[in-house]
Amino acid sequence: MLEVRDLEVAFGQIAPLCGVSFALEKGETLGIVGESGSGKSLTAMSVMGLLPLSGGRITAGSIIFDGQELTKLPEAAYRKLRGGRLGLITQNPMTSLDPLQKIGPQVDAVARLHLGITGQQARARTIEILGTLRIPEPALICDRYPHQMSGGMKQRIVIAGALAANPDLLVADEPTTALDVTVQAQIIRLLDDLVKERALSLVLITHDMSVVAQTCDKVVVMYAGRAIEQGPVEAIFAEPQHPYTQALIGCIPKGLSEDEHLVGIPGTVPTVMNYPKGCPFHPRCIRAEDICTKTSPSLLPRGDGAVSCHFPGAAP
Amino acid sequence: MTNLLEVRNLSKQFKSSGGPFRKPRAMYAVNDVSFDLAKGRVIGVVGESGCGKSTLARLILRLIEPSTGSLRFDGDDLRAKSPAAMRRLRADMQMVFQDPYSAIDPRYTITRALIEPFVVQGRYTIGTADQEVSELLTLVGLSPGLASSFPHQISGGQKQRVGIARALALRPRLLVLDEPTASLDVSVQAQIISLLEKLRDDLGLTYLFISHDLSLVRYFCDEILVMYLGRVVEVLPETDATVRHPYTATLMDSTFAPDPRQRRIIAPLEGEVPSPFDQPPGCAFADRCPRATAICRSETPVLSTAFGHAVACHNPL
Repeated sequence: MLEVRDLEVAFGQIAPLCGVSFALEKGETLGIVGESGSGKSLTAMSVMGLLPLSGGRITAGSIIFDGQELTKLPEAAYRKLRGGRLGLITQNPMTSLDPLQKIGPQVDAVARLHLGITGQQARARTIEILGTLRIPEPALICDRYPHQMSGGMKQRIVIAGALAANPDLLVADEPTTALDVTVQAQIIRLLDDLVKERALSLVLITHDMSVVAQTCDKVVVMYAGRAIEQGPVEAIFAEPQHPYTQALIGCIPKGLSEDEHLVGIPGTVPTVMNYPKGCPFHPRCIRAEDICTKTSPSLLPRGDGAVSCHFPGAAP
Repeated sequence: MTNLLEVRNLSKQFKSSGGPFRKPRAMYAVNDVSFDLAKGRVIGVVGESGCGKSTLARLILRLIEPSTGSLRFDGDDLRAKSPAAMRRLRADMQMVFQDPYSAIDPRYTITRALIEPFVVQGRYTIGTADQEVSELLTLVGLSPGLASSFPHQISGGQKQRVGIARALALRPRLLVLDEPTASLDVSVQAQIISLLEKLRDDLGLTYLFISHDLSLVRYFCDEILVMYLGRVVEVLPETDATVRHPYTATLMDSTFAPDPRQRRIIAPLEGEVPSPFDQPPGCAFADRCPRATAICRSETPVLSTAFGHAVACHNPL
């Protein structure tokens, strides 16, 4: 359904994203995980063709969606895809709805534009979709304004908008970060059900390893604009090979062992202006040796996945 | 074990003034909360947004005035203190705020920010406490070389360390930590938590730790208060105590395990926290509760220890 190969993005002289590759089948969920500044949202924006808005451009690589090369697609054709077969769910539901428009028209517009149906048909569709998203009294909700709804409800409306034109691929950029835990659980479960029922493909961008563990089939772990490890979710969690992935999993409190001790990752994520030479993770890495400061490791197959490290392997 | 902090029947009522189209309304942000915090212990307060946990933190330091109830710190009745006496006493009880980006004045250097507590207490003036500043920075694992930086020059994690250093400046005994890691990346969150663990052991601190993250609270705290709409609904005396309140059970179910082999089918809790205004009679959780019966909608349950530990529920698990 989606194949991204050796994607590179540049803003002028700065290259915040280099050499990201992944593939996603129909009905699969791919998680892109990393800390702030790792380039995960940028990857999502590249797929959606929204980079030019922020002054970035794709300098190398390809994005193939259902057999169609997207990097060379003219903007007019992209506009047809985006919101149509490509759905986007943004991080902050508080800012992705128009505060001056009622809910109904905002969701209707997507179907009217992309499916070419009448306003009445679109409204019937909207009500049906709101119903499947377990929104109580969907017909009444259509006449409400965003400010009359809670954060979790607003996020459901955003999801309804993304679903309105029957997309094949959904890109969800931190869809639950702004929400409470109980609401997060509801939304994640909802997305999971949608993927299964509609055979959607979902790219889920998150910083939360537990969300990945619960929902994804495949994972790409990003650091400083690179994919440093990727593979099937079971393999990544059972036997992470990259020291960064291991550290990231080690940062989450697991449960109730008295001996459990949280270890943070020393140092901070480098900013795009000063990505270190060699392996970008070496200043924070416990395994770093001379070679790590000089040559950047390439992403090589290992086990079921791939890892970019000079000294991959299980934690000592 | 002596209690450093004793909170009894603490409540805070907020009123909204009416407007041309609205009647004035009142709501309880914190409603009849009581607990004891023993020296050297860590109590966690957990709940969703709007449950009153941050208001509780501010009430304890008397940054806002309680409506009713009593507060005792090391035996002293806090509500009887004059503002000046309270200010002196706050050297013993300090707070670390949620958002390190807005907790430090952007025009202050780190040195200036760290001297502020001493200036407020009249102990030092600016320019005479450089020694203290570098000691504080070392204490929280920062290089003293950062002292002349401005907040925008350092990262979020470093800013939160400065926030902790500032709270520690006056050698307090109680630290109130209001979601100190909510705005940080997980790797930095783990750094801050292990720093807090080390400081507790080294300095013999007592913490009140506020968070919406139950797995973090279970990892870090000795005892847990679960709040829902201003009330404490359950007090877990140990972090592995059996959960009795359906709301706590829901919170537990909503936290995801970082392990793909333990995927669970969550029975999703429908609905959301109701508005604290115009609360229906009875238990505030009744509308979302799978165990709710008729009595839950007519009588507000009170905390009772009949089932081992304190739970406010008519039909506990």
